[in-house]
Amino acid sequence: MPIKAMTQEWMDAYKAAIQADPEYKGIAKDWEGSVSLVVNPEPARNVPDPIYLFMDYWHGDVGDFVVCDKAKADSAKFVMTGDYARWKQVAYKELDATKALLQGKLKMRGDLPYVVRNIKTVNKVIDILGRVDTLWPDDNK
Amino acid sequence: MAGGYAGKFLRVNLAEGSWSDFTVGDDILRRFIGGSCLAAKLFLDRYPIDADPLSPENPLMIMTGPMVGSGFPGTSRFSVCAKSPQTGIWAESACGGTFGPDLKRAGYDGIVIEGRSHGPVTLTVDDSGVRLSDASTLWGRDIYEVTDELKARDKSAKVLVIGPAGENLARIAAIGNDKGHFSGRAGLGAVMGSKNLKAVVVRGTSAKAARADDEGFKLAMKAAMQEIKDSALAEGLHMMGSDANMDLGMVTGDVPVKNWTSGGEFDLAASLSGPTMREKYLTKAHACTNCPIACKRVVKVDDGPFATAEGPGPEYETCAVFGTMMMNPDLTAVIKANELCNRYGMDTISCGSAVALAMELYEKGEITEDRLGGLDLSWGNMDAVLELVRRMAYREGFGDILADGAVHAARRLGGDAMDAVVHVKGLEAPMHDPRGFHGMGLAYMMSNRGACHLQHFVLATEQGMASWPQLFDMKDDYEGTTSEGKAALVYNSENYGILANSLSICHYVAYSIRPETLRDAFNAITGFGFDFADILSTGMRDWTLKRGFNNLLGITSKDDILPKRAMTALEEGGAAGSVPDTALLLKEYYALRALDERGFPKAEMLDRLGLDELKSRLYQ
Repeated sequence: MPIKAMTQEWMDAYKAAIQADPEYKGIAKDWEGSVSLVVNPEPARNVPDPIYLFMDYWHGDVGDFVVCDKAKADSAKFVMTGDYARWKQVAYKELDATKALLQGKLKMRGDLPYVVRNIKTVNKVIDILGRVDTLWPDDNK
Repeated sequence: MAGGYAGKFLRVNLAEGSWSDFTVGDDILRRFIGGSCLAAKLFLDRYPIDADPLSPENPLMIMTGPMVGSGFPGTSRFSVCAKSPQTGIWAESACGGTFGPDLKRAGYDGIVIEGRSHGPVTLTVDDSGVRLSDASTLWGRDIYEVTDELKARDKSAKVLVIGPAGENLARIAAIGNDKGHFSGRAGLGAVMGSKNLKAVVVRGTSAKAARADDEGFKLAMKAAMQEIKDSALAEGLHMMGSDANMDLGMVTGDVPVKNWTSGGEFDLAASLSGPTMREKYLTKAHACTNCPIACKRVVKVDDGPFATAEGPGPEYETCAVFGTMMMNPDLTAVIKANELCNRYGMDTISCGSAVALAMELYEKGEITEDRLGGLDLSWGNMDAVLELVRRMAYREGFGDILADGAVHAARRLGGDAMDAVVHVKGLEAPMHDPRGFHGMGLAYMMSNRGACHLQHFVLATEQGMASWPQLFDMKDDYEGTTSEGKAALVYNSENYGILANSLSICHYVAYSIRPETLRDAFNAITGFGFDFADILSTGMRDWTLKRGFNNLLGITSKDDILPKRAMTALEEGGAAGSVPDTALLLKEYYALRALDERGFPKAEMLDRLGLDELKSRLYQ
């Protein structure tokens, strides 16, 4: 049963999927720090307001995975912002997140060299995101 | 007179010790712009293309473009062009740094150097005129020493210098500008050496090229600065230099390992990467004239066997060829190798590729330690590598065999050595694996100076650094290890990207700004009023002209191939199991370029592009 995207239930499922991944712990052993995703509103796609998601990663473990407010999102070590449609493209692997960042389709605040150094971790959590059975706001499921 | 141009070129005959100015008409400038494209046009019109590249008959052309000196970001560049002594075909090598704007301010759009001096000379071009002076005391000395000496005489001078490799006619010799910037590829330092020309010094302060539209230029300039400020690519280049690619490229299968035989060496990449250089050895970022990105590295290694004084640091290409290609995890050794190549004046890609070939042959027992003059060339033994680099520059012992690059070395060594060389048309491939990015494989096959990542913008479009759907049809994201759809991407990325070397603008700046901004700046400077279609058709003319140049020298479809090693799939890494579908790529590409079965541009394409003289020579 697909879960509505960008809800707390969906965040819980995403966290569980990361924890269940047999490779994640090893790949992410050096990663320290929280990441927030800011989803810009697109009313035409059933996203009327901005959505803020906060995820805490620490040396292969995961902590808080919550839908949050702007202040909490801004407190993350890395803040990534983009239009809803772009995030959906990333989740479906139609658009690589690194490419989206370089092309300006996503924006990031945070230590870019740190992300580059840990690119395998970034790719892994995106790969897992794509496995969560998701109902997107503009899906007709 | 079109805007942006100084309005004259300098022709110097070293044999006669004479010089004169010449001009190029607006119609020619509008169609061939400047830089390497205009150089190819001038070469075909005025010089014999069948001359030996190291003979006095081969002209050495140092060319700027109309945007150089304008102050627009990334326009400090110039292109050095000639027939290549390494490949025997068209050669161009663009360089950043400081030289281009000063040449323009000295009143020249370019310099064409003919003949051979009887003894070592320095050419000086400044506000007071042109001079040739004896360079006997500079001959034999390395690029850093000579640069320092010439700048001690005039601290504001901008200099081009060759090192011992160029003097010794190593066919991989480079030309250095102010120590940290190089016209590296295709052996143009050897052409300069063959002319007994040790250095070119420019200092210009007075000449100022007119601009067609000052207000339009200001708007384009403002847009460019904002776009660069907003660009994550530009930010990454500023923070990590081009070596930011090391970590990312290892994941995607871009980085060649162990002379192109391995993949997926993530720990090796981490120790050689841009973030590592930044954390451990970077003292500051350095910019070419008028560049807000500042991708150049200045590094220092305080201690250890490869301690290096503060100076220009290695680019990604150098980190790969002296790092992953040699199974060397020590970034300090790469920094030292970079310094040696800079001092001796050798292209790091060709130099490192030749050394990596020798390491593989040593491992296989096909070259003995005895033949290497006592060097243990085991993978990763960088003490031996650095000594071999020195011997290459001075053509000592086995270094003489490698001094002309991997292809010439493999020919001399015989056996199956050539199977271990990744090259196209005699030029070793840069450090981007065509098995990981099939479009790059096609670009290698079709680049006019041989395997090259800088005659086009394929690196940016295929790897996703830039996306320009407003300029030509393209997707948001391309999978590297597929050949479908890549011919059109390469064709369009060539037609746009090849102009970097005629406008004389940096690839990284062009990747970071919108095509509209570049177009508007170009038009504001020149007054040409180009739209996107004009831009792309000018790129087509550029590519076709150089292709025709090479066709006249015997290049055909038989030369448009990837070598055996690049067509052998890897077992691990991001490119595992993948090789380009070269038949598909070439079939689609040939149709787009209107190349016939011989690989010649068809007559109707030459008509369309207005290349009448080339047509008459190809179809006489």
